[in-house]
Formats: sequence, C-alpha cells, structure tokens
Amino acid sequence: MRRISIRAVALVVLVAALGFQAAAAQSYSFSLDRVTVDVYWEADGTTRLEYLMTFTNDAFAPAIEYVDIGMPTPNYDLSAIAATIDGNPILHIADSTYADQAIELGLGADSIRPGQTGTVQVVIRGLPNLIYAGDDEGYASARFSPNYYDSSLVHGSTDMTVTFHLPPGVQPAEPRWYPVSGGWPEGDPAAYMDPEGRIAYQWRNPSANGYTEYEFGAAFPASYLPSAAVIQPSVFQRLNIPIDAIMPCLCFSGLAAGFVGWILLAVRMDRRRKLAYLPPKIAIEGHGIKRGLTAVEAAVLLETPLDRVLTMILFGVVKKNAARVVSEDPLTVEALTPEPEGLLDYEKTFLAGITLTDARKRQSALQTVTIDLVQAVQKKMKGFSLRETKDYYRSIMDKAWKQVEEAGTPEIKSQKFEEALEWTMLDRDFDDRTQRTFRTGPVYVPIWWGNFRPSSVPSTGSTGRAAPSIGGAGAGGGGRVSLPHLPGADFAAAMVTGVQNTAGRLVTNVTSFTQGVTRTTNPPPPPAVRTAGRSGGGGFGGGGGGGGCACACACAGCACACAGGGR
Amino acid sequence: MSERSRQEAGQPDTQPPVGLHAYTRQSSGGQSRLHLRVEPDGRGLLLVNADRAVHLNPTATLMAWMQLEGLSEAQAVAQLRRRFRAPAQTLRQDFQNIRFQIDELARPDGACPIHALSLEVMAPFSSEPLAPYRMDLALTYRCNNECPHCYNARPRDFAEVGAEEWRTIIDRLWDAGVPHICFTGGEATLRSDLPDLVGYAEAKGQITGLLTNGRRLSDRTYVAALAAAGLDHVQITLESAEPETHDRMVASRGAWKQTVGGVRNALEAGLFLMTNTTLLAENAGQIRATLDFLAELGVPTVGLNALIHAGRGRTVGSGLPEGDLAPLLEIARERTAHHGQRLIWYTPTQYCNFDPVQMELGVKGCTAARYNMCVEPDGGVIPCQSYYQQVGNLLRDSWESIWNNELCLWLRQRGYAPEACNACAFFSECGGGCPLSLRGVRPTDAMRAERVTQEG
Repeated sequence: MRRISIRAVALVVLVAALGFQAAAAQSYSFSLDRVTVDVYWEADGTTRLEYLMTFTNDAFAPAIEYVDIGMPTPNYDLSAIAATIDGNPILHIADSTYADQAIELGLGADSIRPGQTGTVQVVIRGLPNLIYAGDDEGYASARFSPNYYDSSLVHGSTDMTVTFHLPPGVQPAEPRWYPVSGGWPEGDPAAYMDPEGRIAYQWRNPSANGYTEYEFGAAFPASYLPSAAVIQPSVFQRLNIPIDAIMPCLCFSGLAAGFVGWILLAVRMDRRRKLAYLPPKIAIEGHGIKRGLTAVEAAVLLETPLDRVLTMILFGVVKKNAARVVSEDPLTVEALTPEPEGLLDYEKTFLAGITLTDARKRQSALQTVTIDLVQAVQKKMKGFSLRETKDYYRSIMDKAWKQVEEAGTPEIKSQKFEEALEWTMLDRDFDDRTQRTFRTGPVYVPIWWGNFRPSSVPSTGSTGRAAPSIGGAGAGGGGRVSLPHLPGADFAAAMVTGVQNTAGRLVTNVTSFTQGVTRTTNPPPPPAVRTAGRSGGGGFGGGGGGGGCACACACAGCACACAGGGR
Repeated sequence: MSERSRQEAGQPDTQPPVGLHAYTRQSSGGQSRLHLRVEPDGRGLLLVNADRAVHLNPTATLMAWMQLEGLSEAQAVAQLRRRFRAPAQTLRQDFQNIRFQIDELARPDGACPIHALSLEVMAPFSSEPLAPYRMDLALTYRCNNECPHCYNARPRDFAEVGAEEWRTIIDRLWDAGVPHICFTGGEATLRSDLPDLVGYAEAKGQITGLLTNGRRLSDRTYVAALAAAGLDHVQITLESAEPETHDRMVASRGAWKQTVGGVRNALEAGLFLMTNTTLLAENAGQIRATLDFLAELGVPTVGLNALIHAGRGRTVGSGLPEGDLAPLLEIARERTAHHGQRLIWYTPTQYCNFDPVQMELGVKGCTAARYNMCVEPDGGVIPCQSYYQQVGNLLRDSWESIWNNELCLWLRQRGYAPEACNACAFFSECGGGCPLSLRGVRPTDAMRAERVTQEG
C-alpha cells in the first residue's frame, strides 16, 4: 500500500451533509459524541453507507425531532434506506422538506429530549455513480466526507471512526489511501481484512469534532468494478478547475453553453437568497408518551375498528383460559371456571356480556364494554401526547412483527406470534401480513387455539411429521407439551378468517355499533357559555386546561401556580 | 391587525416585529384575547386568554402573525414564497394548518390542543422564556385582613411608589413582553388608583386580574369602576362557608360577610371570577360545605392551595402535610365535578408525597422566575409573590439583569431541589416542590445573608 498525493486524483467528493431540520434556529445545541461510518464500495459499483451517530442534546436546547441526511446523489431509493434511533425503527423516512437532495428521519416518540443522548443508525444502500476514474491509469477513486454541522450548533469533541471497505477482490498491495484533510492527525489508517474478506482502511480520531469537514479518500484498481460504474471526470475536473470559475468567461464569450450555464447559476443564486424552509410547528407543554397501555387499549387509541377490538379482547380471555368458543357460527362463548386471576376490568365486563344468550342484550352489553373502554383510554390519555403515543404503539407493533418474521425456526416463529398476537393485530395490514409471514413452513398451533377456533384444530402430528414441543426438559423439566401443527398457509388462512368471522359475529353491524359508541364517547360539544363583552369560556390565567376539555395538558405551561393562593 | 402596531405598520413585511402583539378574536364560543410574543430569534409564544401557552417555531410564528394580522391566504403564501425555498403547495398547506390550529386554540370552546389538534408536546417546564407570562404587581402590603397564615413577609408600611411609577413599570413590562398582569398585595383595593392602573394596562393591551380578599368589592360602585376600567378577572379568597371560621382565619370580624358580598357583586358585574381557599387545619374539615356553598353562589371556578411557607406561614403551624392532601382533593374533585365547576389546584408539591398528575389536577411545579414573577410596592422584583428576595428593581435596572439574576437562574434550573430528586422519574414535572418549603437551600451565602437581613 502506498500513499499518494491528493492532487493525483480527480476532484470527486462524496459529501453527505447532515443537519437538523431546525438548524436555522439558533437555539439548537448538542454534542456529537461518537460517529462511526462504514463506507462499502460494492462490487456492482454502488455504495453502501452505514452511519452510527450518537448525539447528546443540551439540557436547555429543544428536542431533536428530525435528522436530515444529505444524499450524495439525487438517485437514491427511499426504500433502500433503513434507520433506527436507540435501536427502535425510525418509521418516518422521506424526502427532506428542509433541504434539497436529502432525506429526513422523523424520530417521533424517540426524539432526543433536552439533556438526553440518542444514537441514530442509518443504512443507505445502492447509491449509484459515486466512483470516479483516477488520474493513475486503471485506478478508480472515491472520497468521502462525513456529516458535519454548523459550529454554532455542535460543540465538544467527537470520537470519529471512518472505515472504507474496498470492493471484494482487491488485493492487499493494490489500494492506496489519501491523507485526510481538515486537520485530522497525520498517520496511516489501520488496514485489515473485514469479516467479508474485503480490505478495509480505518481512520479513527477520538478528538475530532462535529463541525469540521474531514475528507477521506482511497483508490483501487477499477477492474474490480463494472466499467460502466466508474465515471470519467470532465475536462474541467481533470484540469482541477472549479466549474463556477469558468462561467463568467463562457457567458461573455457568447457561447450557447455558457448562456445556459449563466441562467442556471442565476437560479442557484436566487435559491441561495431564500431561506431554507423549516416546517411550522406549534408545541405545548405536557406529557409525552403514555406508556403501559394494553394492546387492546392501544387499539382503541389507534382507532382500530371496534369489531376488531372486541375480537382482541376475546383472544385475550381465551388465551388466559377464562373463556372458550363453543360454537363459531352462531358465535357462542362460554366462561370457564374458576375465573383466572389477573383479568382486566374490560375483560371481566366483556365476559359477562359475551356469554349472554339473548343477541340484543349481548350487543348492548358489548357496546357498554366498548364505551367504558374508550372512556377509560381517554382518561388515561389526559395530558399525554396523542401523536407521540400513537407512534410509540405503532413502533411496538412493528417490533412485534419483526420478532415473528425474524424468528429462526418454525417453533420460535409460532411462539413469538402467539406472544405478540394482540400487538400484531393492531396492524391494519394484519390479514395480508399474516399470510405473507406464514406462507411457508409449518406453524405450531398454540394450545389455546382450540378454544378459539374449535373447527380448525388439527390433531397432533397430523401431517405425519414429528410434533415439536415447547417448554422442554432443558427449561426445568416437565411441562413438555406436544403441539399440533398446520402448514403455514393453512394456519394463516385460519387465523385471518377466524379473526374476520369472529369480528363479524361479535358485531353484526359495525357502523351502527360504532355510532352507538361514539354518540357517548364523542358527543357534540355543549354550547359555549358567553360572557358579554368579555373573553369567554376558557377563563384567565387559571391553568388546569382550557377550552371545553378537562384535559390537564396546559397546566405546566401556564403561570397558574401560586396565583394568589396562600393568602 | 395587532392593536399595538396598527398605527405604525403599513403593509406587513415578511418578518413579524420582535415584541408583544395583542389581538382580540370573536368566535362562536365567545371572545378571546390573544398575545403573540415574538422573540429576537424568531420563535414565538402564543397566549390565549392568559391561560393557554403554546410555543411556536420561527415559521409558525411568522404564519401565526400573518394570520392574526389579517393577511389572506393568497397574500400569506405570496410572502412566504418570497422568503422561503419551498413549493407553494407546501407553504399553502402549512399555512392552512397553522390557521386552523390557531383558530381552534383561540376559540374558548375550541379543540383540545393535545387530544384533537395533536400539537407537539414539550416536557413540562422545558421552555425557556425571556420574560414571564404573568407579573403580579403588589401595589401595597397594607391589608384589611390579618391572616395568621399569610405569606407576606414584609412590614405593612413597606415603601410604595406612586401611580406614575406604576405606569412606568407597566410600560416596562409590556416592553419586556409580559402580557398578563395581576394586581395584588397586601390588599390591592386599598390603593385608590387601582382602577386607573387597570385601565392603563388594558389600554396597552395587557390582560388584567385582581387577587383580593373581596371585602371592598362588597361596594357595587367600586366593582363597576373596576369593570369599566376593563378588569378581566378576579380571584377572591374565601376560606370557609362558615362565617366564624373564615373570620377567624383572616383575623377580622365581619370579613366573611363583605367577602361573600364581593363574590356576588363580581358575578353580577360579569367579571370572570374564581375563588381561592387555603387548605389548613382550621378549614380542611369544612371543604365539602365550602365547595357546595361556592356552587350555590354560582362561582364557576374554584381554586385550592396549601399553606405557603413564607412570612407568617413559616411559623403558623396549621399547614397540612403534603401526604394529607389527597383525600381533601378527592372530595374537591367529586364536589366540583358534581356542580360542574372547574377546579384548579395551585401548590407545587413533591410528587412522592402528593402527585397532582395522578389526581388529574395537572402538572404543578414551581413557576417562579419562569412563568410568573412579582413586583413589590417599591418596584423591586421578586421571583414570586411569596419569595421575598429582590432580584432588581424595574424602575432602575434593565429587564435582562433582572431576568438573568443569579437567583432567577438558580430557580429556573431547580437548584433548590434535594439531590435525591435528580434520580426521580417525576423530577422534570415536580421540580422538587415549592422552594420555600425546602428551607436551608439557597444559591449563595451572600443571598442567604441578604434574605436573613430582609426578613429580620
């Protein structure tokens, strides 16, 4: 390996600029404690970036809610980008509304609050056209600058590590690296073979900072890439002449190309005169996420159709061995005795209602159960952020699905699905996703399944294969239960139709059922009290929530505390 | 258009002027007073009826200002396009959203900002304003009651400045961005210039309130004068439905009769009225009867608080332990809900002893030197009306020096909280309770010495 001069390569710089959406606001202040970037120069000529960035938000600064990532090319694919914050999936990945050629990551409920630390991980795959031909015959080169920030926003030192993973097949004697610009300490990068058997250059500086543009570069034989993947530099780039510098000359010379260039330049300058757009945001002091809701309560919050909510409750009581379905059509449910401990209030009232034999009375009782449940959730949500809480429970749902989908064996997959069933049912795509997830392989039917769908229980080992077991001797001996199993597609179909049919039989007319509930839970507001000539309704300076809502949300943010008390 | 800027402003520019802008909105639910405070960095604070505070980022501030100034959607979008690098459709949609949210926030019967509008939620007490939302003006420390539990730590003959100086103080508060003024004392109604000062602040665009024992309000003519001056709200302290208990607690015979007369007159005059009752050993057992009595009178909003450990309150000995408050507040919740009244609990407590959030009373923490402060009769500023340590004088010192006084910073940073609180999950909301109840913790020796001197 040898070191080469920076002038020996074409001016090809891959810059990934990252900024916060609110970067224009001077109040943002944070430290960038650690940055790890892995840059994979892939065999097909594309580039994969893997960022790991740890931010510590200052105690007095506003929450970091969005992270924008500038993209080195406009030809990125949003579906090829995945990101997490503190290990939780970031669901909002979209074109940035703040910066050109950038994406935005909405941290949602996991926004980095004042005084807190958060780690953002981003993987961007398939970035095309980022490798250029170098000046050395037969070599390709690439440069990369990790994200940096305005020095008014970021402070403190950054433990920065940048690793280039060269294309597969590059031999140890072939690649070269360039000195790092931006005041990076001199010295050779660490060179090693990564787990994929690729040569890796790694630069590390524990005392770097988050506001300097460091530039890293390497060159390697172009033969390891498809020839079309290596871009030839323009004449100006070969001459090391910045394109902006030649524009006036071209304009004055009257060349058509120059005229076009002048117009483009003017457009760019006009864009620069305008301010970057920070979307408007109104915030109020209050609580953030309401944790601790059950899946059923979360379903109410997420406005899941009420027949589905009732089906979830039925699942819950069946799983707890508090009830069993005697007949699926017509739906007849029997309460089991003794009643198990730990039933929730709504489960108890549900059981009382669902076991009624008179259809009208049963419908009425279920409506009451639902009204009570909705009102209980509304009460629990007082003062908490609806949006953040919804995001939070959607992320739980997503995690539940991932656990099922990523399970290594059919046994574990079945077990995870059983554990997470209620959470996956929050998904509006539950039916299709269940079918996709269990398309192949056997599914080991949960023990309680027979109490939910007595018509679809296979006999143990019905397909002739050995029946697996859970809770084996290794886990303490005893308790081994042989489980019946179904082909995955059959199970998925049974599950989906079971949920659909049960929902339909629990509530025969969803629209009228729902209207009956919402008439009580969401009545039209009462007529406002008017005070002639004076401000009405909400009162003055009292706090405790305003307007027609008894919500305690506004209390913290007003000046009501000690307003004349104690006298 | 802003009542304040109507005269000088021509065609609105794309940048809202820094400072306070007052607006009055009429909607189907009634009238609302709005204050938009534009900070130097472009951020904004919108206060609705001095009751609901929402925080706006610079773009939202600009859009809210455009809306409140009466720009049409087309005008607003055109100006936004000249200012920002964003598609017109995005700007239009965002402006429409902000307009809807502001409209709903402004309506007295509008949607709940958290449930219905899904506004971003900030952690309690996480905003760092450049001035409080409310300033209490203690016009005098004279009083016609002699409550043994009163938090007033000053002598009754404490120096008072005249009406002209108070007008200057009101001017300076407006310039600092304070939209809400509460006249208090002592007993503010003992100052004959009170109606004039109310009128002066109202003319500037501020919302005014009066914290009083209500005795002078038993004079209908006086109430009419305050109403004519524009007074927006009144808080009257009534300690009990029982005349004897009340008179004993305020140490003035015949006070109850006058106070109740004041309540009736204020209601009759159409003033927004609430009462306040301090829960002490003497009246705690009567809380149910007191609340029922207030309902009979037609009081729409009821305030309750615990003893404040300042002035005589430090030694009176009738305060209730925080742990004893919950059953009383349960009764209060039940009775006020029964009567359709609004209940407001004031006192910051340590949530490990009494958690107001659990009781659905809202987040209660110390807001001294953050959302409210107090001006003493001599123009000196104290962190709240019970914390008798001046941090400057509005007639002499710059607002910045007052606001950034060491004591103010210390209070805002919750420097008074016991170290053990730092590890508590509730700390961001509870803040350690009332600093005055945490004796012995002060920011500097010099301040401690000053406090001892002032309190004698």
